[in-house]
Amino acid sequence: MTEVLARLSSIRRSFGQVVALDGADLELRAGEVHGVLGANGAGKTTLLNVLCGMTLPDSGIVEVAGSVVRFRGPRDAWAHGIALVHQHFTLVPAHSVLENLALGDRRPLAVVRDDAVRLAERAGLELTLDAVAEDLGVGDRQRVEIIKALLRDPRILVLDEPTAVLAPSEIESLFGLLRRLASDGRSIVLVAHKLDEVLGVADHITVLRDGRTVLSGTAGGYDVPSLVQHMVGTGVVDPAALGLESGAGRDSARRKTGATVVARLDDAHVPAAGTGSGLRGVSLSVRGGEVLGIAGVEGNGQREIALILSGRLVPSRGRVTLPEGVGFIPQDRTTEGLIGGFDLTENVALALHREDEFRDGPWIRWDEIAGFTDEIRTRYGIVSPSTTTSAGGLSGGNQQRLVVGREVTMARTMLVAENPTRGLDVTAAAFVHAEIERLADDGVAVVLVSTDLDEVLALSDRVFVAVRGELKEVPSAARTRSGVGALMVGGDAAGG
Amino acid sequence: MPPVGDTPTGAEPTRLRAVIQSPVGTGVAAITATAVVGGLLLWAGGLDPWAAAGAMVRGSVGSWDTFVSITLVRSVPLILTGLAVAWAFQAGVWNIGAEGQLYAGAIAAVWVGLTWGALPGWVLVPAVLLAAGLAGAAWALVPTLMRLRLGVGEVITTILMNFVGIYLAAWMVHGPLQESTGVFPQTDRISEAARLPSMLPGTRLHLGFALAVAIAVALAHVIRRSSFGFQLRAVGASPEAARISGRVDAKKILLISFVGSGAIAGLAGGVEISGLTFALYEGLSPGWGYTAIAVALLARLNPVGVIFTGVLFGALQAGAGAMQREAGVPLAWVNVVEALVILAVLALERTRRLGSAGENS
Repeated sequence: MTEVLARLSSIRRSFGQVVALDGADLELRAGEVHGVLGANGAGKTTLLNVLCGMTLPDSGIVEVAGSVVRFRGPRDAWAHGIALVHQHFTLVPAHSVLENLALGDRRPLAVVRDDAVRLAERAGLELTLDAVAEDLGVGDRQRVEIIKALLRDPRILVLDEPTAVLAPSEIESLFGLLRRLASDGRSIVLVAHKLDEVLGVADHITVLRDGRTVLSGTAGGYDVPSLVQHMVGTGVVDPAALGLESGAGRDSARRKTGATVVARLDDAHVPAAGTGSGLRGVSLSVRGGEVLGIAGVEGNGQREIALILSGRLVPSRGRVTLPEGVGFIPQDRTTEGLIGGFDLTENVALALHREDEFRDGPWIRWDEIAGFTDEIRTRYGIVSPSTTTSAGGLSGGNQQRLVVGREVTMARTMLVAENPTRGLDVTAAAFVHAEIERLADDGVAVVLVSTDLDEVLALSDRVFVAVRGELKEVPSAARTRSGVGALMVGGDAAGG
Repeated sequence: MPPVGDTPTGAEPTRLRAVIQSPVGTGVAAITATAVVGGLLLWAGGLDPWAAAGAMVRGSVGSWDTFVSITLVRSVPLILTGLAVAWAFQAGVWNIGAEGQLYAGAIAAVWVGLTWGALPGWVLVPAVLLAAGLAGAAWALVPTLMRLRLGVGEVITTILMNFVGIYLAAWMVHGPLQESTGVFPQTDRISEAARLPSMLPGTRLHLGFALAVAIAVALAHVIRRSSFGFQLRAVGASPEAARISGRVDAKKILLISFVGSGAIAGLAGGVEISGLTFALYEGLSPGWGYTAIAVALLARLNPVGVIFTGVLFGALQAGAGAMQREAGVPLAWVNVVEALVILAVLALERTRRLGSAGENS
């Protein structure tokens, strides 16, 4: 049980001026689920990249199974039995799920198929092997990534934020799987931002701060506030301020909602595509000053609702009334929210360049947009050398801050947000939540589409669940994790 | 300064690599690599690389007159077609059809020049060039509509339209537009009034060069500063993010960038007729529309850069003639050099991307 599978000692790594790792340690033992925690920018991803052979450390020692190794690339790490489930997806869009799984696998397709079916069953993951990857929702794609890593039968399995887009029941079955995989003698490394989740599954915890390991110990000895304290490093932490206590809805009495309807859908239809359900007659009124939360398992129509409300999709049937001044935070910041090769200013311009105050006839007023970008950078605490840094080089948390900052600015009447805190640490997520509350207090309508049930329940005035292309309002009595969770998979709300 | 978590992966930057990955560095490295490999190939073929190099230099930049009357004149169609390609590629439109669009422009130019030859020059020259641009645009409109309406990839359709354009021109000079004696496979010469004025008296350099430079500067300005140019780059960099932004009409961008690219390539044909040859004949273009891809890529799709890479390739072609005469090097070798430059640029571009890639690995 206590056999050490891998040990990383005093790892240092800088990128130009930026010190990502400054003496980080990590020890992985067989049979353990190991949670790696830290704020955005603490060095988690870089440390995992070192473990998986994607980044060479400047100094420090990597040992696998007792001998010192120097990985030249991911292949070396695979050869040592280390597999990574990517935070961003690496599937070939035009290929089927099975073809993606078989990519780089020399065995016949039929053998891979049998293996994948067996693994998916054991994992309790639903998998449509013949679906085309590009038709899959984010949640499904992630399931494929996990199966893909498992096909290599690794001794060490590294998962970078695997739970961000999964429904509660799926998270439970994933954690069940991770426990089983660990009990087979593997070591599971898990990075996640939801601390209670990590505490629920991990045996061992490592906390990084500013590139150093500041805590390594048995999970049983810690609770959420003490972990936050280690992550943030300051003396006093108020859990409420960080939004760690999932409340039962907001206190909407302090604000008057329901006055003006700013957006309306009447019997909106969208044809089903791929594994998505499309929309089958959705009617909805969004009022100024409210947070309208939509929960649901990926692919049940919430994506279509978000796209329609943000004006990015026209329904095939039904009426839509939309206001001016809508901000939209799309679900995937790297492919939809940002252009990686563009710098910060250009990415802000993506939303702003047609606004009157930022243009001069056909010409863009770049100075104005650059100045504005600098304001967003300061206000949202985006860590980057300048506004001419390319967005692709920012950390995931900073990328999301950029998208949120830009779209909150655009949202004069309504903000449509899809999984706005996905991949953010507690402080960053709390900041986004505060922004949403502030907008609503200012009378802006907020439509929050999220697979994170706690987030929906904590922020929303009204809660809806998307199920198979239809939208159901959740009665206030059923606004609990289990009640909404039951509705999400198509059942009735307990007590509703 | 707080550390940042997700950071670039892969190769560790060295100083040499940093130099090679800078815009000018890529060009210099590509040319150096090409010179070395090309020299070795010549040597392996039993030729004297040093004599060839000497002839190349003398034939392209040996004297002021050589440079202006040969190199710069040859660079005009390369700059214009290079701009057409760069403009389209910036928008993610893979227009490989500059060659056919150039021929369409040349046919239209010669037809207007012959039909209305009696008009005064200040009317006729603009009319000739306008006709060339419109014809090039019309030639590009066919693959554009096929892409927009039917979803047919433009790489194949533009290449096929090249053959149609080349053979249409061949048929024209054997048929409807053949010169009045009916002996030679070419058209009559357009009148003096239809010809572009000289740019530098005493040389062969015509105003087409100034026009090409002006268009390059204008395009650079549009791409860098205008709302349209920004949208064009956004669609080229990430069609998905451009669509989701809700502020870019990708179809409109595609239409304008594609047809505009055709217009510039068509103009190249018109300028060549009006400025240099004054008549259309078979084989007017030695493949400028294809060389244009190398010109544009070497300039990293930067229109102002295209001026310089266009002149560079103009010098290459001018020098090739001298190499052939003085050192007995086959003309085909120039095509090899062009291919080597493209390969070197693509390879260096690739290492640059890998070197500065973001967190996606």
